[in-house]
Amino acid sequence: MNEQFRGEYPAGVMCRPRPLRACLSIFRIKLLESLQYRLAAFTGAATGVFWALIEITVYIVFFTYAENASVPFISNGLTLPQVISYSWLGQVLFGLQVTAIEGDILEKITNGDVGLELCRPLNLFGQWYARTGASHLSTVLLRGGMTLIAGLLMPEPYRLSAPVSWAGFLCFLCSITSAFLLCTAFGTFASVIRLNIAWGNGPMYIMLLLGSVLSGNYLPLQLWPQALQPFLLVQPFAGYLDIPLRLYLGTMPTSQAFAAIALQLIWTAVFVLAGVLLLKRRLADIVVQGG
Amino acid sequence: MPQTAQRKKMNGFFLYWRYIRLHFLSGLQYKGWFLMVIQVIFVVITDPIGTIFLFSRFGSIGAWSMERILLIYSMAITSFGLSESLARGFDSFPWKMVQNGGFDLILLRPRSTFVQVAASVFHIHRLARVASGLIAIAWCLVRLDVAITPWRLFLLLYALAGGCLLYTGVFVLTSGLSFFTIKGLNWIYILTNASYQVTRCPMEYMPQALRTIFVFLVPVMVVSYYPSSVICGWGEPVWTGLLALPAGFAFLGLSFFMWRVGVRHYKSTGS
Amino acid sequence: MTQISLQHICKSFTVSQRPQGRAAAVRGIFHREKRRIDALKDLSFSIEEGELVGYIGPNGAGKSTTIKIMGGILTPEAGSCSILGRVPWKQRTEHVAHIGVVFGQRSQLWWDVPVRDSFELLRDIYGVPQEEYRRRLQELSDILGFSNLLHTPVRQLSLGQRMRCEVAAALLHSPRILFLDEPTIGLDAVSKLSLREFLKEENRRHGVTMILTTHDMDDIEALCSRVMTIGHGQLLYDGDLETLKARYAPLRRMRATLLADAPGDRELLKLPGVRRAENTGNLCTVWFNPYETPAHLLMQHFMQNYPVKDITVQEQDIDEMIAAMYQEMKL
Repeated sequence: MNEQFRGEYPAGVMCRPRPLRACLSIFRIKLLESLQYRLAAFTGAATGVFWALIEITVYIVFFTYAENASVPFISNGLTLPQVISYSWLGQVLFGLQVTAIEGDILEKITNGDVGLELCRPLNLFGQWYARTGASHLSTVLLRGGMTLIAGLLMPEPYRLSAPVSWAGFLCFLCSITSAFLLCTAFGTFASVIRLNIAWGNGPMYIMLLLGSVLSGNYLPLQLWPQALQPFLLVQPFAGYLDIPLRLYLGTMPTSQAFAAIALQLIWTAVFVLAGVLLLKRRLADIVVQGG
Repeated sequence: MPQTAQRKKMNGFFLYWRYIRLHFLSGLQYKGWFLMVIQVIFVVITDPIGTIFLFSRFGSIGAWSMERILLIYSMAITSFGLSESLARGFDSFPWKMVQNGGFDLILLRPRSTFVQVAASVFHIHRLARVASGLIAIAWCLVRLDVAITPWRLFLLLYALAGGCLLYTGVFVLTSGLSFFTIKGLNWIYILTNASYQVTRCPMEYMPQALRTIFVFLVPVMVVSYYPSSVICGWGEPVWTGLLALPAGFAFLGLSFFMWRVGVRHYKSTGS
Repeated sequence: MTQISLQHICKSFTVSQRPQGRAAAVRGIFHREKRRIDALKDLSFSIEEGELVGYIGPNGAGKSTTIKIMGGILTPEAGSCSILGRVPWKQRTEHVAHIGVVFGQRSQLWWDVPVRDSFELLRDIYGVPQEEYRRRLQELSDILGFSNLLHTPVRQLSLGQRMRCEVAAALLHSPRILFLDEPTIGLDAVSKLSLREFLKEENRRHGVTMILTTHDMDDIEALCSRVMTIGHGQLLYDGDLETLKARYAPLRRMRATLLADAPGDRELLKLPGVRRAENTGNLCTVWFNPYETPAHLLMQHFMQNYPVKDITVQEQDIDEMIAAMYQEMKL
């Protein structure tokens, strides 16, 4: 980063850092770097396809042979083709799921280099946000793209169905964008939590796992127990996956899309704010302790 | 100079425990270990949550109740947990040893690379998965009204031993392959964390392709479904339950071969 | 007796490269170039029992590849190697039982437990009998002076203390050959001196053959009777340090402090045998070749013509010599 600034400004001129620009260029570099790992993306996609097929098999068994399969409204309005599409899209968007914090950040935290970064006049949260976002986006583009193609090419009944309507698809795309912002915010927040070395990985992973479970990745939220439904929809992690997919499948009417996307953005803001404040406190601690 | 050639070496098994002892002593220095235990328990609880919710919504599938599926699933994850505790070194090998050159140090020791790598990492909190798996097995057996006889207990432990060998084989295979590529290794997830998800699907409804893979290729079903069936009397012949150990051995043997190929490749190309 | 013998060893690596230039990263998704690098090209040498050999060369010259081949970690593509009568990569376990390796930048001690525990594990790994282990540990800790550190966890040791323990760990099983890969890197002056002293002593007492890679020329000067220089995978020099010096550092540096201002460069260069001269204030420095012009002639001249306060004659700096050698060999 400093290298770049040095090149841009003539010597002796006061450098005015441009945090947003710095973050954008980190995002760009990181994204291009991550796009190199095509083999990883390919094998990742293969894993995703395999996983989806197992899930779909289980759903088919339950929807066809289970005791209550013919009880009306047992699946809370979800049909088998919808659940199958849900499985596919869950794997396509797998890259958005925060399963671990970004590698470079983790390394800097564990080897102590982060102490130096905290003392630089840079917007550390913004940088981490850019890094985290880039690594998620590259996974979705490569691995997700390949999974999507596989899902569309599958024979019936394993195929990924088309969206419910053009309007629904449009809402889905908007919602995916805010899901991306939300996941990145949460991933960055988790990195800030990880700054507390004494805790180790434990609390961070529990947090990430909780997010993953409540996103609908394990089971579409509509198939969870009925009593939990109101809670499931407003909790932050529905915005990861479940809300966009409901718009795609049409189990949420487009009229509610605006409110749902607003909810995603509110949770994004909450995580960003919490992360920034926590980071500031952490920095104060380090200054007090003298590094 | 003393005659070094005459030295008698302690056997590999013993050496393995010497390593584990040191890991244990090191681990005690680390204060966050109980948080890690909580983490593992959290994983164990959340993993089957989808299946449990499906059963509570849709009810049983013919004779297949939730307890049955959960028993098979618990057999698989307990085996997985055992191997993850005892051969953890292979589990983290690709990332810990190949990338940073730590394997060089192992080659510089006059002992089998296999024992050294297996013992290179040990995390006590991984045993939490074994403990919770065993509790789940016991709970399922009680719910299914299966009385514990010495024969059934033997069969259970026998199957777990086979499963432990099988999953150790998976880790060894991963490590062997990691000598060739690390970035393209994530598909191995199919054989580790994804493989025991297959047990969620009732055997007779499983598509033929999946069944073939997980019975003959990666015998996860042989160490989980068949022994469970023999223990609970679901109709599989007794000999199918006894295949667990030989199947585990066979898989480990083939993986060991892959490991040897990998080591040879490493020695001829460097890292 | 020849202990180590390498004959015509060749080794190459394949590295993949990303395409260069604009949009290269995007093209890199589809296409990547492979390039072959020859790490060792027909390398041959042999080392006698009890020799202390310095193995030097710039970064990337093939030093660590050679060490890895001799340690049985790598298999060469061509050539033969015999160490203590064994082929390292074919008889790995027998071979490595008789060698020890010290890495300056990599630890073989366990970080969180007392040093003694690491030593005991090494005892079990190498199968050293208890009696012999106790005697050896006593001997090493007496000379290296770490007996009071045995119960301290490694992470609490200073680098100097840790390095002493590392060396002891590599020697516990009384190897006959010791490889040292940059053993003094990062050490303070006192630790460096005592480590060199110890290595010399170990070599004298037990006849341990030592091969040392380093960038610190003082290590070489203090320890090694023989120097091997490698560059671009080939052995460029093999002989004693004195011959190397006569070839690449033939000049001596005479530095005189005067009571008055020093004469100008031009005047100094007119003196007999002077090749190079520098002056600042009342200090003047000249370089000359003692084989052509004996020092007494030059000194006499100085004494007679200038008010000399102090005068010293030194060999050329060894680092300068190595730099000159690398430059001449185009490394």
